[in-house]
Amino acid sequence: MRIPEQVNRLAIVIGVLVALTLLTRFVLIPRSLVSTDLHWAAATQREAIKPVKFAGSTACQDCHEDVAVKKARSFHRALSCEGCHGPAARHADDPSAVKPPAPRDRKFCPVCHAYDPSRPTGFPQINPTAHNPLKPCISCHNPHDPVPPKVPRECAACHGQIERSKAVSSHALVACTTCHRAPEQHRRAPRSALPSKPETRDFCGTCHAQGADAKGAPKEAPKVDLATHGGRNLCWECHYPHLPEGRL
Amino acid sequence: MSPHGGDGLAELLGQITGFIFPNEIEIHWSILIVVYPYVTGLVAGAFILASLVKVFKVKEVQPTYRLALLTALAFLLVAPLPLLLHLGKPLRFYEILLTPNPTSAMAMFGFVYAWYLMGVLLLEIWFEYRRDLITLARTARFPLNWVYRVLSLFSRDVSEAALAFDRKAIQFITIIGIPSAFLLHGYVGFIFGSVKANPWWSSVLMPIVFLMSAIVSGIALVIFLYMVLAGIRREPIDMACLDKIASYLFYAVIVDFSLEALDFIHRLYQSEESVKILGSLITHKLFMSLFVIQILLGMFIPLGILVLAKMRGFGDELRKLLYFTAAILIQLGIFATRWNVVIGGQLFSKSFRGLMTYKMEITGIEGLVAALVLLALPFAVLYVLIKLLPTRRLDERTPVTG
Repeated sequence: MRIPEQVNRLAIVIGVLVALTLLTRFVLIPRSLVSTDLHWAAATQREAIKPVKFAGSTACQDCHEDVAVKKARSFHRALSCEGCHGPAARHADDPSAVKPPAPRDRKFCPVCHAYDPSRPTGFPQINPTAHNPLKPCISCHNPHDPVPPKVPRECAACHGQIERSKAVSSHALVACTTCHRAPEQHRRAPRSALPSKPETRDFCGTCHAQGADAKGAPKEAPKVDLATHGGRNLCWECHYPHLPEGRL
Repeated sequence: MSPHGGDGLAELLGQITGFIFPNEIEIHWSILIVVYPYVTGLVAGAFILASLVKVFKVKEVQPTYRLALLTALAFLLVAPLPLLLHLGKPLRFYEILLTPNPTSAMAMFGFVYAWYLMGVLLLEIWFEYRRDLITLARTARFPLNWVYRVLSLFSRDVSEAALAFDRKAIQFITIIGIPSAFLLHGYVGFIFGSVKANPWWSSVLMPIVFLMSAIVSGIALVIFLYMVLAGIRREPIDMACLDKIASYLFYAVIVDFSLEALDFIHRLYQSEESVKILGSLITHKLFMSLFVIQILLGMFIPLGILVLAKMRGFGDELRKLLYFTAAILIQLGIFATRWNVVIGGQLFSKSFRGLMTYKMEITGIEGLVAALVLLALPFAVLYVLIKLLPTRRLDERTPVTG
């Protein structure tokens, strides 16, 4: 059978393309760019010969078992040793000659524990300027088992963001305990015993229902008719109790 | 990330140091990566519509065959541009072709793309147009006649045997082309679906959902272009053709919607650990683009419109208006679909704690203007293609001009 004319022409074009590709692939590009196992073999080798700096937590446990056991039960159990002490491979190789640093000043702990509104609520956060100025953190807190030296008096010790919002709201003078009852255990093990929260509309009505004045509610608190206001919604579905002026 | 993003990133890093969630501040894949699957989807969809004529012998759709092919080509030529602009070192793109890495789906893109462009689309268009190119090379004035001569690869054989070979070749290429179009867009979905660290993406349904939405958007685009072109040329619209395409569009939207609903229900029922953050993702960050634009404007309303139009009884003019509206709404919806996948998948922290915000640049290399230019560019390419290559076979119309 005769090969159609158009196929011959296409074959020339395709042949030229294939030839150009093969020429580039096997002649023009440098060897280091092509490798049978990994691309950028040269780059891989360059990275592979860099010295290993981290020893890994298991290496630390071998000698410092007491600290490892203590830390494993503490709030810092998820942190790695070298996160605070720095890369310690050389220390693991020769424990007496090379000592890893330990952060002993006030600069390191606030990296995680300085107040920042993006940190989750309940995470201990302080204002580094106002919190026991000049005293190194480790004089009161043991980083391997960090608990406050005495149980915090104020909820703000952990719930900084709520405290700061509430402080500028019309609820500034309402104490946390007016609305929440916190069991004593909540202060020592926050997640094992959670504080209570208001559950009904009537709770807000203690101050905000019509006629609440007569029962001793502050006169300046805005009053609504609980029977009609907001339908079946709960108060906090529209009003954020820690900043009631804000809109959700 | 834009080339200048590094400075801004260094500035921001201080704010996410220490114990903080979410600790991701950079949305790496910008609007350009939304444009990419959207444009690729249009290619695959338009090609599959074209293949209806050749493989499934749907004669009614013949008037849009060439238009669909040229649309696929115009959009395919632009498809890699958003990726190139997104690369930190665009001039290194050829490395993925020269040093193939078969274990990386993303690195194989160059081959999937090259196969589809050169192995399928260009070949099919060449065989389809060869006879017309030869005619035009004879009739066109200098220098256009030389353009046609080069495009026809100096081919001259218009004997019946040669033309019969063309037809056979087209049929063969289309049969290979359908799985290739599936491969091209299924592959885009596969890249997202195989990211197992991202619960919004990681789904085995992703390639097939991408594919169906691609078919929907491609068909809607060809309807849009066919109507606009007929309007510009003041030619009558072939209503039998339009009705047929619209009914394919209708079924494609139904299948697409069912698949997406299945994916959604499946996630909800599986209720993995990510379900909470995904819940707040779709009710906060994606509410507008998912529920309002993608589902309501992009699916329910066009479906309603197509059902209305199918219930006969409407005049041609009203049906045209309905189809046109549905086609535009569907484009909007499918673009929102791509947005929800690409941007949505990056808006929640991989720690599942907290949502991020995407602030689109306006004028940067990955900004809104660049995206709009890239979305407009295929239409400019298509304009040139249609000027060069007639959308009807030459003997079907009045004497050749130009």
